[in-house]
Amino acid sequence: MKKHIGKILLIVVPIIAAIALLYPTYESNRIGKIKSEVERLAKKDSTSADSLARIERFEKQYGEDLESANNNRVKLGLDLRGGMYVTLEVDVVRLIDESAQRETKDELFVQVIEATRTETQNNDDPVIDIFLKKFDKIARVKGKSLLSYFDVGDLREASEEKIIERLKDNEKSAIDQALEVIRQRIDKYGVSEPTIQKQGNRRIMLELPGVNKEDEMRKLLQTTARLEFNLVKNDQKIVRTFYKIDKLLAEQAKRRKGIIDTTTASQDTLLAVTDTTKNEVAQNDTTASDTTNAETADTSNPYAGLSEKEAQKRYMEDHPFTTLFLTFYISPGERSQSMPVNYTADAFPSEGDYNFMIYEPMLKKFNEILARPEIRSLIPADLKILREAKPDERILKESSVNAYSFFALKAEPELTGDVVTNAMATFDPQTNQPMVTMGMNTDGAERWARITGANIKKRIAIVLDDQVYSAPTVQVKITGGNSQITGMADADEAHLLEIVLKAGALKAPVQIIEERVVGPSLGEDSIRSGLTALGIAALLVILYMFIYYSRGGLVADFAVLLNVILIVAVLAAFQGTLTLPGIAGLILTLGMAVDANVLIFERIREELHRGRSLRSAVDEGFSKAYSAIIDSNITTAITAAILYFLGTGPIQGFALTLLIGIFGTLFTGIMVSRAVIELSLSKGATHFNFGQPKAIVN
Amino acid sequence: MQYFEKPNINFTGRRYLFFLISLISVVGGILAAIIFPPVLGIDFSGGSEVAIEFKQDIQTAKLRSVIEQSGIKGSEIKSYGKEGQFLIRTKKIAQVDSVLSNIIKSKLPTHEFNIIKVDNLEPKIGREIGLQAIFAVLLALVAILIYIAFRFEFIFGLGAVIGVFHDTAFTFTFIIAFNHLGIIDLELNQTIVAALLTVVGYSINDTVIVFDRIRENREKYKGFDFIRMVNLSINETLSRTINTVGTTLIVLLTLTLLGGPVLQGFAFTMMIGILVGTYSSVFVAGSFVIWYMQKIKKIEMKEFTGKDEDALPAKA
Repeated sequence: MKKHIGKILLIVVPIIAAIALLYPTYESNRIGKIKSEVERLAKKDSTSADSLARIERFEKQYGEDLESANNNRVKLGLDLRGGMYVTLEVDVVRLIDESAQRETKDELFVQVIEATRTETQNNDDPVIDIFLKKFDKIARVKGKSLLSYFDVGDLREASEEKIIERLKDNEKSAIDQALEVIRQRIDKYGVSEPTIQKQGNRRIMLELPGVNKEDEMRKLLQTTARLEFNLVKNDQKIVRTFYKIDKLLAEQAKRRKGIIDTTTASQDTLLAVTDTTKNEVAQNDTTASDTTNAETADTSNPYAGLSEKEAQKRYMEDHPFTTLFLTFYISPGERSQSMPVNYTADAFPSEGDYNFMIYEPMLKKFNEILARPEIRSLIPADLKILREAKPDERILKESSVNAYSFFALKAEPELTGDVVTNAMATFDPQTNQPMVTMGMNTDGAERWARITGANIKKRIAIVLDDQVYSAPTVQVKITGGNSQITGMADADEAHLLEIVLKAGALKAPVQIIEERVVGPSLGEDSIRSGLTALGIAALLVILYMFIYYSRGGLVADFAVLLNVILIVAVLAAFQGTLTLPGIAGLILTLGMAVDANVLIFERIREELHRGRSLRSAVDEGFSKAYSAIIDSNITTAITAAILYFLGTGPIQGFALTLLIGIFGTLFTGIMVSRAVIELSLSKGATHFNFGQPKAIVN
Repeated sequence: MQYFEKPNINFTGRRYLFFLISLISVVGGILAAIIFPPVLGIDFSGGSEVAIEFKQDIQTAKLRSVIEQSGIKGSEIKSYGKEGQFLIRTKKIAQVDSVLSNIIKSKLPTHEFNIIKVDNLEPKIGREIGLQAIFAVLLALVAILIYIAFRFEFIFGLGAVIGVFHDTAFTFTFIIAFNHLGIIDLELNQTIVAALLTVVGYSINDTVIVFDRIRENREKYKGFDFIRMVNLSINETLSRTINTVGTTLIVLLTLTLLGGPVLQGFAFTMMIGILVGTYSSVFVAGSFVIWYMQKIKKIEMKEFTGKDEDALPAKA
């Protein structure tokens, strides 16, 4: 027994390993069945509360198990199992909108853009054509031309045709580029064998097999990934702008109040809806006005002599905009404190920094006000106002409300994401928060050094898709082009960010316009009949081998079956995807695995025929068959390796199974079969039937 | 069980006949491919995509057979979102939605349905990916040539690579012929490409096994005639060839007959390819090496009669 332990292990270990690797697949199928049963029952439940409870019970009991099983199971490709079907639309309208010069855009242009957007929803013509049609109809009749909005650089060569040509180029390149960027993102995310096709004029159709986290996938696809580094301009200028907005809005309200009294009413309802937050903001506001009131009491207090409640009400009426958020002032100097600011008078310190924070329920109103054209013209053209991506952690912890900081940023970015060449998700060693570190190309690194050098002690915001991820104060000049982004919600988000930064930004934003679960592209019917056919074929082969090679044939059958299981198990471990081309590779492998056994047995039979003893015939048969088995498998392995490294999609899938299969064949054909035969011989058997015409007994 | 006690078939005696057969098939195949270019499937040519919703659920197989019978071959039909919804991809057809709805209305009059959407699709496998794949295969062949030349002799490597071209071209001839004769519906798509790659793999494997035996016998029976040795080697590996090809054919024949319409083309192509590969490794590969030795290297060789009992050398 002891001297056979090695051979027994050789047989048992791969079986155990294969079972361990394939267990998640079994679990995933088992729980998947329970899940569809639960969903079927849930549909029949009388009330939606019942069915929700049923699904919740299932999630509680199996949710985690199912997820981990799904992550480790053998993934089946689109042709065998189907997957997530997504149609993306490239937002060309926005691309046109953004190509126009910001300061020239007026009411007419906005109308043209909106009309174009509506029309594109029902019309698959190129967007530029639709845009031009709408432009002629709406703006040209009012005496505008494309030259009024678009800038072509050299004024002498500026012409309508030039602009149209450039817009068309932009559209085409934006779609091609989106296709490429999306392809790279999917690839880096680790979805193997997706289908990515252009559909119609401005759509991209994707089919993604084996996606477990649909939310993450949606985010991955829709992120524009436009990265910008902007200087923070939270200074006196912007606070004064806010003051002016207040004035304008209050005046408008008063003028309207003369006719009907609605503004205050609507504002009251808004505040009433947001009950808890309202109190908090109100409290904060009172403290804000209290402190500043005390300070400025002697200069000019318009609310002097009023009751506290009345004063507060009047303050809110006079400051409809700035009461939506909180303003703090930090005077210059090392240990200065953050002071609340009120907007009673236009007397703001010019030195120092301001901070702004807004509660989530106020955001809608805030954005709506900022979007109004008359307000937009008040904000300096070189500034833009963006909020932070992540709510303030301290406030969230203390009062579980989402409050966001927002910033006034220089509209023209100092640097953009094109210079980023590398990105890596990691953790900040100090705070243990997820972050992404980025490397830049030489040009970017030089510019980054210049920018940071010129702005020491100032803040630079890192902006991704119009959300501020962090706005650190520059401490020293940064050379070498390294920078970090923090402010991600979790490690998963950091990982996604790494992928999108590596793949590069989209020129135009894309939107998911359709999302479905599709069945296997071979059709459920074909797969069912294919599986039946494969089962019958396997039985026939097993039978054939047994008839021709007798007991030897059974050993071969065992070795080949073990090989199949091992290939699938290794594929599961490598997170590979099994597709029909992969199955073609598998059939080739199996043919070669049967071949290895056939070669060996034929040799053994030849040797037996020559009159060798069973023992020596087995030894001789194996050793003589080696050269043929190894040479034929190595040549095939070379082919497979080249196809794997140079091929794409289906060809790669074919090559991967083939490559794994060749190692499996060499292992099971040479080592496992031999161990089985030798174990039987070691029991003192003098007879082992390889199906030779007459049994050789020595 | 045993097919042959001690086979002694003269495989190389009529080698010029087999060369001729191969040459005709390969050249004929290439010509046929130029005259009747292979029908490209949706994967390569792009097409239309129609989503259909049926009021009651219907089986995919039924829908497929209705569409195939109406002459729209090689479409991809799969479930789409909910029960009774299907996504049908066909080749480029003008007014595809009305064509499909007419077919369904006439063939499945009891089924109520409506069309959810119609879209155009660009090819899944563009020119670039196709060229890349061809480049990969060519590079693989060069690597095989080098490996076999290194392990055997240059001429064996060349023989194996020519064998691959031969087998692929020959298989192609068959596919096109069968397709035009209407025996089987075959379109060049992703799965057929996978099947052809498998044929390449089999072809090399088969040839290497025969060459391995020639290499071994040349060592073992030094001084014997080369032609006799080649015959001996093919005869000695004959059982192996029949068994290996036999088991693979069992699988592929079952798939062709029972695997359903979509897998049929895939399994059939592979089956033809493997038969051709076996033919070439038995009748052509060894003969090619003989021809090279005789005509190019001018080595004198005695023709093997096949009747001569001395032809089988005694155990060395």
